[in-house]
Amino acid sequence: MSTTIESSRFGRVEIDPETVVEFPEGLIGLEGSRYALLATDAASPFLWLQSLDDPALAVVVTDPHRFFTGFSVELDDEDAARLGLDDATAVAVYVTVRASPAPEDFTANLRAPILVWSGKAYQIINRAPGCVLRAPLFHAASPEPEPAC
Amino acid sequence: MLRITRRPGERIILGDNVVVEVMEIRGQTVRIGIDAPRSVRVYREELWLEVKRENEAAAQAAGAKLPELPPELKGG
Repeated sequence: MSTTIESSRFGRVEIDPETVVEFPEGLIGLEGSRYALLATDAASPFLWLQSLDDPALAVVVTDPHRFFTGFSVELDDEDAARLGLDDATAVAVYVTVRASPAPEDFTANLRAPILVWSGKAYQIINRAPGCVLRAPLFHAASPEPEPAC
Repeated sequence: MLRITRRPGERIILGDNVVVEVMEIRGQTVRIGIDAPRSVRVYREELWLEVKRENEAAAQAAGAKLPELPPELKGG
């Protein structure tokens, strides 16, 4: 059964149940636990995590692997045990994006990625070295390759 | 805020199953041990606040359109 919400950004949006993810622990500092992953522009690398509890709340996310080739996620033992994840679980990873008027000022939060599997999502602290809170998304101006994360 | 004075080795119990122990005091630094069920997430406050700030910033992209990127900056 599909849900329809009145998003303050997108107007009336029909939510495909396939896109709904439940955050049992919420997103850090944000309200609500049910979100939908909306791809409003198939050509864009960005998606919206639209809250189903608060139509005014939508968070820009992207797939970090598109921008950071060496990106990886390392959980600490407590998180790994709590989430029950092992290497065999197919997990999709998203990172929040801080947008800006100038594209070169866009940053992604590699320190607290969002892991999605089986309709559940968790924002966790990434222990992989070099994963910073505000990693520049575009580094065309820099000839140096990005660090591993 | 409840204020409690503790010495190294002494503990505080929160609810039924969270134990906080003052392990060591050295100068300006206090080592704290926390024993809590897995379902209780523990963060350093400054990191929690920084992640909250990034989440809020990601929620503030104005308008319905996703950020526009010039072609040369598209991720590849």
